[in-house]
This record gives sequence, C-alpha cells and structure tokens, in this order.
Amino acid sequence: MTKHDQSPHPIALQYARDAKAGKLSRREFMARTTALGVSVTAAYGLLGLAAPARAGAHMQQGGTVRMQMEVRAVKDPRAFDWPQITYVTAGWLEYLVEYNNDGTFLPMLLESWDVNDNATVYVLNVRQGVTWNDGTPFTAQDVARNIAGWCDTTVEGNSMAARFSAIIDTETGQALDGAIEVIDDHTIQLNLPAPDITLIAGMSDYPAAITPAGFNPDTMLENPLGTGPYLPETVEVGIKATLVRNENHDWWGYAAGKGAYLDRIEYIDYGTDPSAWVAAAAADEVDIIYETVGDFVEIFNSIGFEESSVASSSTICIRPNQRAEIDGMRPYADKRVRQAIAMAVDSAVCLELGYAGRGEVARNQHVGPMHPAWADVPAMPHDPARALELLQEAGMADFEMDLISIDDDWRKNTTDAVAAQLRDAGFNVKRTVIPGATFWNDWTEYPFSSTDWNHRPIDTQTLGLAYRSGEAWNESGFSNAEFDALLAEANAIPDADSRRVVMQRLQEIMTDEGVTLQPYWRTIYRHAKPGFVGWDMNIAYLPHIYKIGIAA
Amino acid sequence: MVSFILRRLGIMVLTALCLTFIVFWLTNLFPNLEKLAKTQGNFRMSDEAVLTYLGNNGYLQPLPVKYGQWLGVLPGYVIAGTDGEMRARCATGGQDIADAARFCGILQGNWGYSTVFRDDAGSIIATRLGLTGKLMFWVMLLMVPGALIIGVMAGMNEGSRTDRSLSTVSILSTATPEYVSGVVFIAVFGTATFGMQWFKGTATAAMDDANFENFFLPVLTIALYGMGYIARMTRASMTEVMTAQYIRTARLKGVAFSQIVLRHALRNALIAPFTVIMLQFPFLLNGVVIVETLFNYKGFGWTLVQAASNNDIELLLGVSIVSVFVVLTTQLISDIGYVFLNPRIRIA
Amino acid sequence: MDPLTWTGGLGAFLNPALAITAALGGIVLVVQTGLRMGSAAVTLQSNPDGTLQGRGGVLGALDTALIYLVWALVALLLAYIVVPLVMPYGSAGILGEITRRLLPVWIALVATFALSIRFKRRLGLYGKLFDSTVGMIGFALVMFWVYVAAFVGVFDMIVTHDYLRQVSGLKNALPGVMVPDGTQGVIPHYLLGGDNLARDIFSRVMAGSVFVIAIAPLATIFAFMVGITLGLPAGYYGGKFDTALSFAANLILAFPVILLFYLLVTPEIVQTGIPSYMAAFLFAFPLIFIGVLINTRYYTQPAKRNAIILPVLGILGWLYLSAINASGTVIDFLPAWADLFDISVLVVFVSVVFVNAPTVFRIVRGLTLDLRTRDYVAAAQTRGEGAWYIMLWEILPNARGPLIVDFCLRIGYTTILLGTLGFFGLGLSSESPDWGTTINEGRKLLLIYIHPALPPAMALLSLVLGLNLLADGLREESLKD
Repeated sequence: MTKHDQSPHPIALQYARDAKAGKLSRREFMARTTALGVSVTAAYGLLGLAAPARAGAHMQQGGTVRMQMEVRAVKDPRAFDWPQITYVTAGWLEYLVEYNNDGTFLPMLLESWDVNDNATVYVLNVRQGVTWNDGTPFTAQDVARNIAGWCDTTVEGNSMAARFSAIIDTETGQALDGAIEVIDDHTIQLNLPAPDITLIAGMSDYPAAITPAGFNPDTMLENPLGTGPYLPETVEVGIKATLVRNENHDWWGYAAGKGAYLDRIEYIDYGTDPSAWVAAAAADEVDIIYETVGDFVEIFNSIGFEESSVASSSTICIRPNQRAEIDGMRPYADKRVRQAIAMAVDSAVCLELGYAGRGEVARNQHVGPMHPAWADVPAMPHDPARALELLQEAGMADFEMDLISIDDDWRKNTTDAVAAQLRDAGFNVKRTVIPGATFWNDWTEYPFSSTDWNHRPIDTQTLGLAYRSGEAWNESGFSNAEFDALLAEANAIPDADSRRVVMQRLQEIMTDEGVTLQPYWRTIYRHAKPGFVGWDMNIAYLPHIYKIGIAA
Repeated sequence: MVSFILRRLGIMVLTALCLTFIVFWLTNLFPNLEKLAKTQGNFRMSDEAVLTYLGNNGYLQPLPVKYGQWLGVLPGYVIAGTDGEMRARCATGGQDIADAARFCGILQGNWGYSTVFRDDAGSIIATRLGLTGKLMFWVMLLMVPGALIIGVMAGMNEGSRTDRSLSTVSILSTATPEYVSGVVFIAVFGTATFGMQWFKGTATAAMDDANFENFFLPVLTIALYGMGYIARMTRASMTEVMTAQYIRTARLKGVAFSQIVLRHALRNALIAPFTVIMLQFPFLLNGVVIVETLFNYKGFGWTLVQAASNNDIELLLGVSIVSVFVVLTTQLISDIGYVFLNPRIRIA
Repeated sequence: MDPLTWTGGLGAFLNPALAITAALGGIVLVVQTGLRMGSAAVTLQSNPDGTLQGRGGVLGALDTALIYLVWALVALLLAYIVVPLVMPYGSAGILGEITRRLLPVWIALVATFALSIRFKRRLGLYGKLFDSTVGMIGFALVMFWVYVAAFVGVFDMIVTHDYLRQVSGLKNALPGVMVPDGTQGVIPHYLLGGDNLARDIFSRVMAGSVFVIAIAPLATIFAFMVGITLGLPAGYYGGKFDTALSFAANLILAFPVILLFYLLVTPEIVQTGIPSYMAAFLFAFPLIFIGVLINTRYYTQPAKRNAIILPVLGILGWLYLSAINASGTVIDFLPAWADLFDISVLVVFVSVVFVNAPTVFRIVRGLTLDLRTRDYVAAAQTRGEGAWYIMLWEILPNARGPLIVDFCLRIGYTTILLGTLGFFGLGLSSESPDWGTTINEGRKLLLIYIHPALPPAMALLSLVLGLNLLADGLREESLKD
C-alpha cells in the first residue's frame, strides 16, 4: 500500500496542530486521525513521536485462560446488546477495524482506508490473503454484504443501523442505492450524501462482527464459519463457553504477528454478584475477571490480582422524563423541578458513595474533558436550600418522586445516594429497584430513573443518541428546537475548535434545563491473576482476545 | 394398598395439571410475554417489534390453545410470519415444517424449548436435576445421621445437660437461615480474611469434579438448617419412647442402658423422624435454591431462578412438573413408609 | 470528642473480670466432664441418718463452683448494661452507649417480667410460661425486639440518626466513628459504624425491627384467620367441601416457595393487578371471621349483637377498603380522603399470607377432625347450638395450644422468608432497613467489611431463636395442662 506516502489528510494536519497546542488529548488525536485513514505510525509521526512498541515478545505460545464472564446466548451480531457475547463470537467472527485504549483505530480485516476531505467518500481497502475457515478467500463482496446488512433496518434489534444512518434510505429501510460500491476484489467505496466522520468508529463497535455469506444465527454454533483463529467448543448459556484453537485454519493474523497465543479460552459464568467472583478467584477457578466495579476493585487488589484500569466516558445518567405523566400531570416538564433536582445533588457524593470514588466528577452535561470539543461550562451550583425553594415555587414540594433503578451494585448505590440527597434537601422521594431481567422493558419510559451509558469517542455522539427530539433512546423526553438545531450544526463541523463554540451553547442548555443528572465519569477496571499478558480492560469493552497470553 | 396408591397417583396427575396451568397462565400474562420478547430480541426493542415477535412465535394465540399445544393434545401451531417465514412449534433447529410432527407436547415427551439457555428444556432439567441429586445425596448423608445422633443423644436423658446443650444447638441451627450461615461460611472458610481458608467459597468446579474442598460448604449449609428440625423431632420421639412401659421394664430387669437405647428404643423412636425426613425434601428445595445461587452451583434450584427471572415459560413449566412430582412422591413414600414401620396403622 | 472504643472506661475493669470468669467456667466444665467419664451415674443416695445426699466429693464441689461462676458471669453481663446508665456520655464505649439508648426497652422488659412473675398464677398459659427457663429466655428475646420496634416506631426513640441519611466520608466507617460537624443526629457517633452508603448501621438495625415486627406477625395473623376460617368447616363438615379445599391447599403447598414468589412478586405481575385481587380476597377473611365470631356469640340477643357487630364491621370494612385500595393499581375506586393508608409492601404481604395460609389450614383441619368427636361437641350439638358456634366457641378454644405454638414458630419462619425475599431482591425496596435486605447488602462486601452485615444477622438470629424458644416453652407448659 502506498497510501500513507501521500500527504496526510488536511484535517489530520489540523488535529496535529491542535494536539501539539494541547487542545486535543493524545487519545482523541489518535482516534480522529486514524479514523480518517492515517496509520498509527503516521499518526504518532504527526505528533513527532515514535509509535509505542507492542508487547508480544514476552508471550508463551499455547496455554489456557479461564475468564469470569456472563455467558449469554449468541445471536445475530447486529442485535448484540452485551459486549460479553462478542468475547465468545470474536473467536471466529472478526472485525474490520479495532478501537484501542490509546484512541487508535487499527485495521484488522481492512488493510487501510481513506476518507476524503469533507468525509463524504470512504475508500476501504480489504486485507489481502485473508481466508474464511472453510478456505474460501475473504473479498470486498463480503464487506459490502455486511455493510448492506448493517443498513437493513427491518432486522429486529439491529443497532448497527443507527451507526450507519448516513447511508440508509429512510423510505426502504435499506442502504441507499449506490452508497456501497465494490470497486474491485479488494476495494470498496462508500458514498455518503452528507458528511459523517463516525463510520469507522461504527465499524469498530462490538455489534460490527463480520459474518460469512448465508449466515444463519440459529446454526452459527454448529457451523462456525468465520475468519478468526478459534472455534467454539461448547456454549452453555449461563454456565460456560469454551473457545479452542482452529488447527485447520491458517489465520491471517499469524503471518501479521497478531498473536492468538492461547490454545484454549474458557468463559465461566459466576452470575452477576461480584462477591461470587471474589470467591471464584480465591478458589483459583478463574484467571481474569471481566469487569470489576466499585468497592470490588479494592478487594481484588487485596487478594493479589493485577489491576488494569482505563478512564472512560462511561457514565450513569439519573434523568427525570419530561414526557412522563403521573396522575394526569407531567411533573418533570417544569424546568424548575429539574433544576431543583440538579441543585440538590452533589456529584462528588454520588461518586464517593455510588462508585467508591473511582472516577472523575462530571457536570450533568454528558460531555466531558475526554471529548475533543468539550467546553469548560460550569456546573449548576450545589444548593439544597435554593433547590427546595424552586420546588416550592413549582408547587411540587409534596409530590412524591419515584426514583427507579436496576438491581445491581454501583447503579443502585448511586441512585440510592441521589435519593438520600434529595430527601436531605426536603424532597419527597421513594425508591424502587427493578430486577435486571425486567428493568430494560421500559427503560425509556420510567418517570425518573437511572441508566448507564457507555464510552463514545466523539462529543456529539451521545448528545445525538440520547437528547435529540424523538430519538429512540431519548429517555429524558427532552425536546428542544434550539438544542436540535445546534446539534445539527455541531455535527457538520469536523474541527474541534470551531465546534467548541457550538458545544459551549449545547452544554449550557444541558445545564440550564437540568436535563439529567450525570454525576461522574467512570474509570473501568479489569483484574487478572499475575502471569497473564494482554488482558487489559478495553475502554469500550471490545473483545481483543487474540492479544491474551501467558507470560513467558 | 394398591387402590390407595392409585388414588394418590390420580391426585398427583390432577395436581400437576392444575399447577402447570396456573404457571402457564401467570407466565403468559402480557407483561411477562413482553419481557420474554425483549430478552429474546433486543432489550431496546419497540412495542410494535414486540408484538410482531410474539405473533410470529405463536405467543398471541388464546391461552387454552397454547396450553393444549404444550400439553400435546392440540396440534402445534404453524404460523406464517409477517416477515414471510413459516414457523411451526414442532419444527425446531432448522427442521422442515412438512417433516415436523403434528403434536409435540409434554405427552409426546417433548418438554419444549428453553428460551434462555437455547436448548431442549427436557435435557436441561435432566442435567441440572442430576447435579442437584448429587448435592442432595451428600446433604442427606451428612444431615440424616447427624440429626438422628443429636436427637437420640438429647432424647436419651431428658433434661440432662447434654439434652439442654444439644437442644440449644438444634434450635440455633433451625434459627439460622441458609443465607446467613452460607455467607458466614464463605467469609470465614472461603477467603483468607480470617486465616482459615480451608474450603472453596464456590462450588462451580464441583459440578464436574466434586471433592471435599469445593463441596463441603454448600452441603453443610443446607444440612445445618434442616438438621435442627429433624433432630428436634427425633428428640421428641425419643423422649416419648424412653418413658414407655416396656423401656421401664427393661431397665428394671437390669438391661444395660446402651442396650436399651440400641435394641429397644431406637426402632420405635425412628418412625416419626422418617416421615419428617421425607416431608423435608420439598422444604429442602428452598435451601437448594438459595445455596445453589450463593455458591454458583448450577443445579435445579439455580435453573429455577434463571427460568423464573427470565420468564422462560417452557423451562419453568418443566421445573414445576418436576417439583410437584418430588413433593407428592415424597408425601406418598412418607405415608407408605409410615404404614410399614408402624404396625398399628392400616390403610384400607 | 474521639471515636468510641467498644467498652470505653468500663472495659478496664469489666473486660478482665469477664475473661477470668469465663475462663474459670470453661476449665471447671472441662475438668468436670473429664471426671464424669470415670465415675458412676448420678443417683440420690439415702444416708443412715435419714437425709438424702446428692453428689459429694470433687464432682459435687465442681458443680457448686460452676453454678457460682455462671451467676458471676450473668452479674458481670448485667453490669455491662446497668453501669453505663450512670456514666457520662462517651465514657462507657459503644456497648455502653447502646445500652443507654436502649434504656426504655430495659425498663419495659423489667416491668413486664416483674408484673408477670408477680401475677403468674392468675395469667393462665401466659403465666405458666414463667415457670420455664427456656420459655422465659425466648419471651425476653422476643419482647426485647417488640419493645425496640414499639419505641422506634411509635415514639421515635432509640435511633440516633435518620436511617436513610447518608453522610459523606462515613462509607463503611468502623463502629464508634465520629460523624462530621453539622450531620450529627442525637449523638455525634455512628455506634455500629456506617454501611456501604454511609448510613448509620445502629439506627438501621433498630428501625429494621419495626418492619420485621410489623410485617411478620401481622402476616401470620392474617394467614391464621384465613386458615382457621376455612379449616374449621373443612374439618367439621368433611365431604366434598373438605376434599376441594384440601386439594387447593395441597396444590399451593406443592409449589416451591421461591417459584411462587417469583411468579407473584415480579413487577410484571404487579402490573397486571393480580396481587391486588388476591389482597381483596385474602383480606376479606378477617372480616368474615370476626363477623361470624360476634354473630354466633350474641345470636340469641339480636339487639346487643347489632350494637356490637355494626360498628365493628363498619370500621373493619373501612380499613379493609383502605388496605386493598391503592392509587395507580387496578383497585382504585375510593376517593383520596377515604383511603386511610397505602400499604407499600402489599405484594410481599399478600404473598407471605398466601404461602402460609394452606399450612395453617391443614393444621386447623386436622385438629378439628380430632376434636369434633369429643363429648363436649356432642353436648353442644345436643343443646342445639349452631355449627359455627360449635366450631368457634367449642372446638377452637380447645385447639389453642398447638395453634399458639405453631403461631410462634410461623412468625420465625415468616421472618426468615422475608429475608429470603430480600436475598433474591424481590419485593421490598432496596433502601428498606429490614434485616433480610440489609444482610443481603452487607454480605456483598463481607470480605473487607464485616460490620455492616453482622448486626442485622445477629438481630434476625436472636428474634427467630427467641420465637423458637418461646414456642418450646409454651409447648412444654401446655403439655403439662
């Protein structure tokens, strides 16, 4: 490939200037430039740095690892709703692109990609020499079929469609005619009607696993056709799943020095109660813990496990639903009530009590310093006395707020902390806890409840998903014409600095309207027994299982 | 005797029918079906998508029809889905609809399909029941002799210091629910906190390879709770026997105390505990559910919790059938055994 | 002011004294057991001078020593409770402050025991309880929690902080910790430390007793009303009625309890309103029971009967409607002013009643089957008494012994059952201070913090133990009748 010898993308050069001036974090710089098709080495080069060497020399070939993880039923990748599923399927269903903690997008089944200056034409170069594990070559046709599949909105639960809405025809619910163009056996071109810089990020997300032609979710375990180095041996939902090396398949990654060191990966389900995981670790039945939360970080450190942590923009939102009707009125449609809620709650206390202080305090704006165009907008001051006054002005002092949360560790605790602070301020609050299996039935409809949101690299992504009028995931029922207009404006400005002006206004609206409580950004953790390498927590929970190995 | 057993069997079938219908009705209420659809499709599914899913998979038929199909007295549904695909109840795993049987209910030996575990409900129940059987076997092995020894020792000399201390122990053990004792055992013996890490605080590995280290704590937790109750019954029965005339006669004759207890008292004192032990089975099921959840031992109780919390209809029905069977069979055995052990009772 | 230690200044003297006494007691017990192995069984022997002699010699001396040591131990333990009452705040440590907070409970307990023992001969079965040590210990444990619940629930005494108040900085704080300025409640310490959400554990355990003491006995009473109202006629008449009811009871009993709860308590079922209908059905039984009870008693005096029955049923009816009526559910017809209260734990309450009622039914039915052949029943029948009069005023009073014993045991069982529900996260709200929920919360972090889970576990244990001992004492004494 000679693409990287060409002059770098003009926007990438702009990013490099921003990054050097300290306006853009290293991670964000890497994310944005690699998404434009700049290679990792070149991206580091733009900053005047050498790309960090990857570990790998210290690995031992072979071995078994046992990981504590919920084993969930596999299904059509597009409908995946838990990253845990992909830790199983990633053994044989791989991705076009992978997203790393340092913010880089590394090519996997793609070899490289190019994005034109205004992000309307994507040229994807498919990796040469990749074969399916039945021996047929992997070609541009496969990629085109998968992208078309992602755009198929008629598939139940297809969440990839939201990520590829730029090339979906809303009339037919399929990809736009001519949007996906196969140039030759190893080249594909995507033609977008409007700029969108998030497509590569979308391809790296966990539901974007590449499936073979004639893929049938019902028989995907009996007939595990894919490009990856492993095969599923057993998948017992709720109990155990095992991946074993596919000895009859020449995985492309061996030649590329990617790894797949282990011969066998076992995922053992210990339920959702973290104390059971501790017991399992103490009994030496597992080597890696999928995710450790809150107080358990300390416990696992104390039993001698190694910690891997990454600060992320994963967070929790405790939002009133402005559309919710209770006894014939809409209690949270009144801005004063929402402001009162925001004033009564101290974010630092939520972080301390809800997540054992393991994160950064946030400002209820759902945009943070880790985002490129974040503007330094102050939070609403913590003022319980004023909060009660506002509530009384609104005539809602006697109204009983029912604060709902899922039944787990940190989400329940954080919501409890919010409830206690509201009560301290003189609000009338009731708490309801709903079991995990039921909670998601109506998660967007609850009048006042908490939801966790995962890391998203770009500032406008979450605002668009969760706060734009009429969006499916708009759980706060927020509908504000000015906000929508500003958001559309922000989405069309690729340059972070110019966008910041608009973001400032958006964040001010979020604060002033008291749209949601978003008290902290989580640092996410994973633990493993000493002696294992490459198991680090991924910022987006992505399944980079081929990297795991036993230290030599 | 035969007609008695036949009558009891008849009642058993009737009970199982009523019970499964109740479970069927409760699990097929619309909010439950909605939950099912969302766990099957996508948690963040729209209401229309839920209805389409339910319609396509035969969940929106009238309740008696669905129950009849599950039972196997009505032909399984064949529905042309809104997505153009034909789905039939009896055609699972990619089977051609034309080849599928017309009836496929519990009467045909088809326990249905578990939506949570994506597997045949019958085989799941068989596997899980086997694991719980293993657990119960060891529980019984620890609990029954332990309880009988404590009870007999306490009942031998009513009011003695041994009696008082053993009775206190047995009351204490009935007053300690599994979720307290199990938690304490894990904390003390399963971790290094107290320097007594003698056992494993999880029994997941015991499913394949049970040994003393990983299986003792769950067994002990269930056994302790049940032990107190049986011990107290045994003690009561023993004290009653020890005051009987023939025991006094034996003592006056100068028979050694140990001989009296072993030869004369024990057999009669064990009739009452026998029925109690049999009736204890269904009661132990509760403990099994808690302990299997606590120790992550994936047996029958764990399956029950998974099926119930995910509204896995057919698995839950299978679980109900099995538990009804266990409850009623143990009642039957307890009645029959009582008759055999006690010559004073005759059943027409 | 500093954090409190466990026993404060009191411990300087009492702790060593307690340790020495306990150690001596232990030694004596071991020596005695060892000696007894080799000696003859205890028998009374008559001496030539006409006196009876028990055990003499070393064993006898040890026996006496043991008794003195046990009394010394009891006296020392009492000192832990009594001495702090006259010491200034903070000097008697955590235990001292706890006993001081519990002062009203001690007074009430002492008064109850003094009065009961003084008048025990006039108090029937209740009075006889005070002849049995086991029964007295059980009664003391149960009444301790009843009084705690009463003082906390009615007078808001004992608790030191709001049980829902979270104080930043006290997350999982150790027992005796100082609270920051401006957040103190009645006292400036968390006596038993803070829980995972920085709430006062002592206040939560004490407040939790209100939930447990209110729900468990009340649910058991309801279950008994249902069981008695159905069990009496089933046993008395027999026949098809009996067959049908027994079948239904066995049907419910054939359900594993956990499955039943999962089917009844989940939010989806609550949404359909089934628990509300069940409440409407089950809560009607106390009304029927009391109505029939009064009617049969005063049947011969219609004027007096009407004067009693109308107001009683009127009030009960209103309570009944208030109980089953809750805004936002399927049964919501009363105007707000007429709806006295909403039961927040209605679903749990109904389910517990539903699970317990069939067992009570079976017991009552069995007792009735036995008692209906008695002579006094035949006598009443000959007198021409109505069937319900015989059941309620002849059979039921004679069945009271086993029923009272079962009642005590069943309250304990219900308490454990409520905890089980907490364990599976069903029913009660997550912030509820009831013991099952707090144990379940505390157990998650048991490996690093043992103090949040232990107090509610000990509380649950002591209450259930007390109920069991009480039942034992009652059984013994009622057998002596």
